[in-house]
Amino acid sequence: MHSFDMLRKLCLADGVSGDEDTVRNIILDEITPFADKIEISPLGNIIAFKSGGKRAPVKLMLSAHMDEVGFIITHITDGGLLKFDTVGGIDRRILPGKPVLLSGGVQGVIGVKPIHLLKKGEEGKSVPLDELYIDIGALSREEAEKYVVLASTAAFVSSFDTSHGMIKSKALDDRAGCAILVDIIKSDLKYDMVFVFTVQEEAGLNGAKTAANHVRPEAAVVVECTTAADVPGSENAVCRLGGGAAVSFMDRRTIYDKEYFKEAFAAAKAAKVKCQPKTAVAGGNDAGAIHACGSGVRTAAVSVPCRYIHSPAGMISQKDFLSAEKVVTGLAERIAGGHA
Amino acid sequence: MADDLKELLFRLCAARGTPGDETAAAEAAAKELAPYGGTVKDALGNVSAAFGPENAEGNLLLEAHLDQIGLVVTSVDGNGFLRVDKCGGADPRVLPGSAVTVKGKKALSGIVCCTPPHLSDGKDDEVIPVGKSFVDIGLSKEKAEELVSPGDRITFSTKPVSLAGSRVSSAGLDNRAGAAALVRCAQMLYKTGLKRRVTVLLSTREETGGQGASTGAFSAEPSEAICVDVGFACQPGVPPEKSHPLGGGPMVGFAPVLNRRISENLVKTAVKNNIPYKRDVMGGSTGTNSDNIAVVRSGVPTGMVSIPLRYMHTPAEVIDLRDIENTALLIAEYIKGDF
Repeated sequence: MHSFDMLRKLCLADGVSGDEDTVRNIILDEITPFADKIEISPLGNIIAFKSGGKRAPVKLMLSAHMDEVGFIITHITDGGLLKFDTVGGIDRRILPGKPVLLSGGVQGVIGVKPIHLLKKGEEGKSVPLDELYIDIGALSREEAEKYVVLASTAAFVSSFDTSHGMIKSKALDDRAGCAILVDIIKSDLKYDMVFVFTVQEEAGLNGAKTAANHVRPEAAVVVECTTAADVPGSENAVCRLGGGAAVSFMDRRTIYDKEYFKEAFAAAKAAKVKCQPKTAVAGGNDAGAIHACGSGVRTAAVSVPCRYIHSPAGMISQKDFLSAEKVVTGLAERIAGGHA
Repeated sequence: MADDLKELLFRLCAARGTPGDETAAAEAAAKELAPYGGTVKDALGNVSAAFGPENAEGNLLLEAHLDQIGLVVTSVDGNGFLRVDKCGGADPRVLPGSAVTVKGKKALSGIVCCTPPHLSDGKDDEVIPVGKSFVDIGLSKEKAEELVSPGDRITFSTKPVSLAGSRVSSAGLDNRAGAAALVRCAQMLYKTGLKRRVTVLLSTREETGGQGASTGAFSAEPSEAICVDVGFACQPGVPPEKSHPLGGGPMVGFAPVLNRRISENLVKTAVKNNIPYKRDVMGGSTGTNSDNIAVVRSGVPTGMVSIPLRYMHTPAEVIDLRDIENTALLIAEYIKGDF
């Protein structure tokens, strides 16, 4: 049985886009003994080369992003409250009343006017972003400045819960992908492969773009967490928890390689694990930057379905995680071996 | 002292208790009050402790409510999601994406459903009402029905944390802060040679109407009462006439239903003992158990002290420990002052 210890460690670490050092160090500590060569690119991507039993006919890059959505402090008020911008796509409706942790280990909460004092017209309405702020308990700007500087980042706070075959945590997008790549890099590979752990996915795919420019792969598999909206009130399920790894044919940024899409299902069948198509053209990921890099890169995306993505508490199925790991492993072998 | 108080407060916060289901919170509070005259639970689950001379003429009731807002499971849907409704004044704006604990046959971790931004429906200025919200515990219908029944309660999972200085944040500080103040007050008063009988009542069901305070006060038959609850602390969007600063000291209530003599004597006590305080003036009802206790039996002269709190009824309420300590001190000195 998988312990999910690495995933736990990765999820509970904070790494808002542009501030991924902690996550990078965890991954480096874990993979260094298993990689043949590791480079850190100028923007902070990890690029790890690992030799397999054979030279790969097709140069394959596997990628997962290290960053998560969060906040960046833009202003400190006279009263010691912190104004912020969101980093990455966050629905403002999930923000009020949530605890956050600032870089440097300072606890805070996102403040909101008590419901008792709402005026007519404010009831039933979500709180505008510009009315929200982070309260670290400081009573003045001077006191706040002892704990934070402008541009400090803040991340959601969550536990890591593995009850009932699920995993509930913040930052599953995309520490789940990172954990899968860590597992694969620690295994014996049939072919040489390049593993990249990218920065700044949530802030514009900057890490992936530069990683692909650096590696110049012929093929890529992006390992992600994707929106499972199999929840009440959602018309479009996209993919379902428990349905296995989700494979993309198209999203908002990428049209995926048709053969690789089919091959992912063949890999799932061979590994006897579940696999499902992502049934909506929604979202986007590092593939958007990678597939159009250089002279073009044949690209696939395999994702772990995740409910409540980009919120303080996402939920994935442990079985889906393990399916995704098997599908990625099988697909990577087929692509690198020139069989797809 | 501050560390002891913080630990006491965090212990009280860790034990959950929603209206009508306060057992865990009551047991935790009863444990804290055990050294100060024993504890009793009545038909509605109130916790009380009485000390001081039994045949004294006056009996002063000190009251704080024990319950906190939460959600109640109304049904399990076809896919195992839990339909919920309010149990007390839950704020729908803070629910989406919140980690919660469902008190089913065992404690289950859950998440209040929310739509990811990638599928944004363009309705992001609207808030989903509590009664149309769902909680996801990641179980099938069959498994969910085995572990969860309609009526089971749900609370926020946020853990108490320390903020800058003497500020702390937790769910349920409304009103574990008040309960902590009264436990502290009992610690200060016990064995000080009281002339009056003092009853500490930690009451149930305030968030759904204050029935615990009414019945608890009926049983105690007090000659005078002081309620301790949380009040609005200053924060953006809250008018200054309705709030007082965090760390600015206890808020002494003045309202038609409150006894003006008690209120003024509380102020005199604060001045005499150099305890920071604020006059907290309300034109109508107080919105606290004071309103209920003042009209118990033939009527009870009642005073009120509020502890300033930010973000009331959210998972991230914020309070200053000094205000709790000063509330306890103010009431203890008031009682010793023999008005």
